[in-house]
Amino acid sequence: MIATETRKEAASRAARLDAVFAALADPTRRAIIERLSRSEARVTEVAEPFPMSLNAVSKHIRVLEASGVVERHRKGRDHILSINTRSLDEVDGWIVRTRRYWEERLDAMERLLRELKKSGPKDRKRGSR
Amino acid sequence: MDHGDTTGPIVQVRRRVRASAEQIFDLWTKPDLMVRWMSPFPGAVDCKATCDLRPGGAFSLAMVSGESRRDVSGTYVQIDRPRKLVFTWIGPLTNNVNTLVTVELNPRGDETDLVLTHERLPTPAICEGHTRGWGNILDHLADAVSKDL
Repeated sequence: MIATETRKEAASRAARLDAVFAALADPTRRAIIERLSRSEARVTEVAEPFPMSLNAVSKHIRVLEASGVVERHRKGRDHILSINTRSLDEVDGWIVRTRRYWEERLDAMERLLRELKKSGPKDRKRGSR
Repeated sequence: MDHGDTTGPIVQVRRRVRASAEQIFDLWTKPDLMVRWMSPFPGAVDCKATCDLRPGGAFSLAMVSGESRRDVSGTYVQIDRPRKLVFTWIGPLTNNVNTLVTVELNPRGDETDLVLTHERLPTPAICEGHTRGWGNILDHLADAVSKDL
């Protein structure tokens, strides 16, 4: 619950979420995540399908790592990339909460519209119940 | 919808509403009407709204229900009655960071198509990858990672 979080915790959560959103804003980075959601992979494997230099793909991978969406570990000489699903759960959580919030608000808005229609236009001058 | 490289994912809600665009626009912008539907608390709620309806003007909603309290505020960015309303939004839902809400109203005969878009604002420093990671050891693996993106 936000109410029990300290201000600092809430702020760092917000900063993390922003970092993840920024990382996901690019189509190449989303494609990299899609690839890694199937299985972990070496950097060269991830870069292969993209019509750009390994260097350009590496830059995108660094953005994903900085945001915490993608993690890197070494297996022998290989750098293996994998997804940190916790970061994406947070994004998912924000999207789900926000959608639910507005769906509920719009339900309430429509209820009020029906109420106003029933009682006629003069009702609109009335204050809160 | 292409927002370029610097915008985060957006939430969009669409709905056909049985009312005129003018009537709906007023529900969003008149404090005495705002308080009657904008509170997320069920039942009896003490809800106060203020709004200064001009670009750059502020609005606020203060909702109290028993022990719970929720404050939302923002600034109007674009006001085009009755077709479009754009405002920033900051509150518990957004982890108290600024976000942008756009409400578009398109008349369809007696009804109106409402499209609400809620997006987080870009953070350029993060796009450049300047911030250090906050990685945590993951305890479970991805399944439908991209389903909402």
